[in-house]
Amino acid sequence: MELAQERDSGTNVISPAGRVDGSNSADFHEALAAAIADDDSRVILDMGGIDYISSAGLRVLLLVAQRLGGSSTPFAVCSLAASVDEVFRISGFNQIITVYGTLDEAKAQLA
Amino acid sequence: MRRSLNITPVPGAAAAEALPRIVAFVEEMAELDDWAPDLVLRSNLILEELILNTLTHGRTSGLSDIEVTLDTGVDSVTITVVDDGAEFDPLNDKPSPDTELPLQERSIGGLGLHLVRTMAEDLEYQHADGKNRLTLVARAGA
Repeated sequence: MELAQERDSGTNVISPAGRVDGSNSADFHEALAAAIADDDSRVILDMGGIDYISSAGLRVLLLVAQRLGGSSTPFAVCSLAASVDEVFRISGFNQIITVYGTLDEAKAQLA
Repeated sequence: MRRSLNITPVPGAAAAEALPRIVAFVEEMAELDDWAPDLVLRSNLILEELILNTLTHGRTSGLSDIEVTLDTGVDSVTITVVDDGAEFDPLNDKPSPDTELPLQERSIGGLGLHLVRTMAEDLEYQHADGKNRLTLVARAGA
């Protein structure tokens, strides 16, 4: 699971790439957890490089969102591919995780 | 085109080890029959959720074979999954999870089958001759 990361004055932007399915969701979780620090003031997950996510991947996003929600750290995802957006809508994840159209929007609006 | 893939559970192997074969099978069919990209993704998702569900949750008792058949239609594919494991109706397993719950109360249980039931059409389940048979249609487009 490739995962790029960039920190800019407290905003942690994480950009995974590839598929997230039942065969690599544990790696995805480990990589994401390692990429998030307790003192991040905001975390944005740029999903533009992900074209496939199954319930195994949703589970990881839920756990990460709950962890960040527990510490009141603003968290959002952005740039969902149509296929990922469909999975988000069906599962209701667009109601529990903030979704922005683009990374620029997320950076400008997430608070 | 109509093609089948047989998956034999390997004792002790992680369920997810079956995934690369499913992905390769779907991609091969997609290439041969020129499927739209969203049809490929939906078919993959439906099969991943169904087959991992069958290979986990203690459902491998007595299971020796899962047969997946793909039959390309017009902008659609009919997916049939037949297994000889314990009787299990994925269409009436339990109610779909409450997708309206707030973040900290959400859990992931049941979401995979909820995705399948929502994304697929014309779902039919039968249990006959000791086998579970599920047929459904994945469609391209919105």
